[in-house]
Amino acid sequence: MNEKEQYKNRVELLQGTLDMLILQTLQWGPQHGYGIVQALRVQSGDVLQVETGSLYPALHRLERQGWVQSEWKQSESKQKARYYRITAKGKKQLASDLDRWEQIVEAIGLVMYKPKESAS
Amino acid sequence: MKWFPSFGSQRRNRELQEEIDAHLQMAIADRVARGEAEETARHAATQEFGNIALVQDVTRQMWGGGGWFEQLGRDLRYALRQLRKNPGFAITATAMLAVAICANSTVFSWIDGTMLRPIPGARDTGDLVSLQRGERNFSPTPPFSYLDYRDLREQNHTFAGILAYHHDWITLTGGAQPERAYIANVSANYFDVLGIKPMLGRFFLAEEETKPAVPNVVLSYSLWKTRYAEDPAIVGKSIEIARHPLTVIGVAPEGVVGAMPGLRDDLWVTLDPLGTDVWRMTHRSGGAVWLNVIGRLRPGVSRGQAAQDLDTVMHNIVAEYPDDHLGANQITLDPMWRSPFGANGYMAATLPILLAFAAVVLLLTCANVATLTLVRFVSRRRELAIRQSLGANRIQLVWQMVLEGVVLSIVAGAVALVLTSWTSKTFAWFFRASSSPTTLNGSMDHNVVIGIAVFSLLAGMLCGALPAWRSSHAPAIEVLKAESASISCGSRNRKLLSGLVVAQIALSLPLLLCSGLLLRTLRNLAGANPGFEQDHILTATVGLNIAGYSDNEVQLIRHKILDRVSVLPGVKVASLTDWIPMTLGHKGEDAYPEGYVPHPHESLQVYHAEVAPRYFESLHIPILEGREFTPDDDEKAPRVLIVDQTAARRYWPGQDPLGKNLRIWGRIFTVVGVARNSTHMFVNESPEPMVYMSFFQEGYETIVQVETEGNPFDLAPAAENAIHEIDTRLPVFDVRPMRESTQLASSFAVIQSTLAGMFALIGLVLAVTGIYGVVAYRTQMRTHEIGVRMAVGASRVDVLRLVLSQGLWLTGMGLALGLAFALGLTRVIARLLYGIGANDPVTMVSVVTLLGAMSLLACYFPAHRAMHRNPVTAIREL
Repeated sequence: MNEKEQYKNRVELLQGTLDMLILQTLQWGPQHGYGIVQALRVQSGDVLQVETGSLYPALHRLERQGWVQSEWKQSESKQKARYYRITAKGKKQLASDLDRWEQIVEAIGLVMYKPKESAS
Repeated sequence: MKWFPSFGSQRRNRELQEEIDAHLQMAIADRVARGEAEETARHAATQEFGNIALVQDVTRQMWGGGGWFEQLGRDLRYALRQLRKNPGFAITATAMLAVAICANSTVFSWIDGTMLRPIPGARDTGDLVSLQRGERNFSPTPPFSYLDYRDLREQNHTFAGILAYHHDWITLTGGAQPERAYIANVSANYFDVLGIKPMLGRFFLAEEETKPAVPNVVLSYSLWKTRYAEDPAIVGKSIEIARHPLTVIGVAPEGVVGAMPGLRDDLWVTLDPLGTDVWRMTHRSGGAVWLNVIGRLRPGVSRGQAAQDLDTVMHNIVAEYPDDHLGANQITLDPMWRSPFGANGYMAATLPILLAFAAVVLLLTCANVATLTLVRFVSRRRELAIRQSLGANRIQLVWQMVLEGVVLSIVAGAVALVLTSWTSKTFAWFFRASSSPTTLNGSMDHNVVIGIAVFSLLAGMLCGALPAWRSSHAPAIEVLKAESASISCGSRNRKLLSGLVVAQIALSLPLLLCSGLLLRTLRNLAGANPGFEQDHILTATVGLNIAGYSDNEVQLIRHKILDRVSVLPGVKVASLTDWIPMTLGHKGEDAYPEGYVPHPHESLQVYHAEVAPRYFESLHIPILEGREFTPDDDEKAPRVLIVDQTAARRYWPGQDPLGKNLRIWGRIFTVVGVARNSTHMFVNESPEPMVYMSFFQEGYETIVQVETEGNPFDLAPAAENAIHEIDTRLPVFDVRPMRESTQLASSFAVIQSTLAGMFALIGLVLAVTGIYGVVAYRTQMRTHEIGVRMAVGASRVDVLRLVLSQGLWLTGMGLALGLAFALGLTRVIARLLYGIGANDPVTMVSVVTLLGAMSLLACYFPAHRAMHRNPVTAIREL
């Protein structure tokens, strides 16, 4: 029970953000789950380590929401894998996610940096 | 929405497995490419991936969609798992619910078999109404003459059809053994109006109504099967009925038993099949008033409109033939479910009240199961809290809890279904063999199954929702933090538990009170003096009038019977009559007392019975004035009457009734005696005027009535032999002690008190176990506290007082509420009571005392246990 709870909590914690990160990764082309983990790790300079327990639920939820589509394909290394592709609807979602993210960053920035400015 | 979710979900599960495998394979491949050993790479990749089963599980939850069906399946499996964990609870709750649902469905099956299916085999019985003329009356006599009926049928604008019938016993002769059967004279449109098609042959044609070319007869399925061995070529054959040949023209479908609810017709003929009853077919009053009438409303016509329409027609008839329609003539229409003709009048007065009792039992059971559930949920708070913190919202939690309740009640419903298929047929037990072809029983059809489903779902919701809603209110964090020390189960739950206990006591009190009142009513009825001797009387019906004898033969045989039976050893007094009191039947006739001016709209109907000399002597009914009938009061003598006190007082107040005249059937009768009042129909009836006529002047049926020295039962064979010595072909039936016949009058009181008693017993057990359960549970929860109290010096008596006071407080509240509730409910049954008031203080005090004492006992056990605990172990306990 406890372990499950942890995973679930993390999913919820990252919800908006993880969705955005996945959709952003898929912008460069269809990718499978393992590939998405690797891409996020590499692109974040080894900072973001996405748990599988968060990734797969997120992918399946995105598919249900119609933001990604999946199909089974052979990878370069002849491994059969499920590839996720972003849909038009997903792209729209990504745009709005990004907007919101920027707003949040800006808002948080305002809160965090203003006092420093006035202090200096 | 997916319609085959299990198929789809299998595929998805497989794909998820493959997806995760691919992930692992790629991770391993990467690690191997970086130079790790295959085995270490596999281990590390798996490690990195985490708990595969858990990932699958949480991912699957994202599918959600798999549809409501799959979700439901998951919830159901979860509910079942929870119930399996606690079989004691599951079995107790299911058993209690099954009994309560069965109580409801049994009564409902009786309603279904009688009131809801008043005329088996008929189409759309909801459109059928029974017609009554004159003052509205419970158990009326047939109200219409043929001519009146025909005018109503032809001149109305609101009916699709109106049928008429009259039924009576007849003897089927011609076979090896004469057999008694119930025959109905019916209008030609009878089966058309009912909407019944023949199984074989045809039914009557319009032109056959009054004068068929050849006498025709339609057989019922059961008669065709038993007496004619299912002869497929029966149509066109001639059979003998009361020594007259009739041609079979058709057989009715199986299950069709005629138009009077609760009675079974065996065969049907037209209104005057032999053409011998011209007088009855051409007059409008007296003996020509013999038909029961049922109409089928046109679509869209209300009963009110139809009654108005018929009233107009009837008004014209009365205006045209005023002498034939003295007294009240307004038409009232009743739907068949409560038609006063037949059994449904009685059913409608009894069964809905019993269903209300059963509903109270169901409520009570739900309160009890809810108590159990609540106690159980309290111990499941951690589980609920975890689920809540996992993201389940309150609705989902409530849904899960309700589902557990529903699972319980569905199982209980299934058990109840099996039980009801048996109990529905027990209704017939309440009706002893009588002189009527009664066919009353519950029925187990789709209505009842739907009923059971509704009862169970309702019960499930009630049992599950209330405690679930309460439990889910508990804030998750607090519950998770909560350690045993604070396991006081929250004041909210405590209040709810107390409320449920109070409700159980409050619901069981009215049940007990009603059953107490009904049982005492039954005792009063049994102990009541009906005004006539019924313990040493034997009666036997001789089917003279239905066996085809001529009038002269009949009179001769009657005298012979009286002569022979009188001299039998053990016979004190023998007489003849054509009516037995208190057998749910009576004969009524309009009577016109000379010199009496009726009030406007006063019904002039009187009860009448035809009795031979020494009738009053045999029944110990004193003649207060004048004389009894003598053998000289025969056909040649002037018509004479004996009236009872009610008739004498009503028609000749303050005068001497002797020598006064009464006109009945257009003939003058002179009063020669006044008999003391006695019971006619029910012990608790309001007395109706009764006139006795001389049997040898007006007697129709022949019932031998003897007062015996010993047990009347022992005399039965001798009496039967004596009658058969006159003519071996004489049909003799219904030979039984008077006491047995008169018990018919209390059939419904027996049904009411039996069921109310059973329901009350269930209620008492539930209420007492309910209060025991809650007090025991609460005491257990407080073990620690009680231990501390004792350790700091509380005495055992203090502990006893502590536990008892809380139980008593609940009991007191329950009793107070219950009394208020009971005062409302007893008003409903007030008219079923006899010899006891609805607020009878003795019954009330004893019921309250009983319930109070039982509750006290239920509280005492947990208190006693708490009192004798070792404080040290009690403190350690939690």
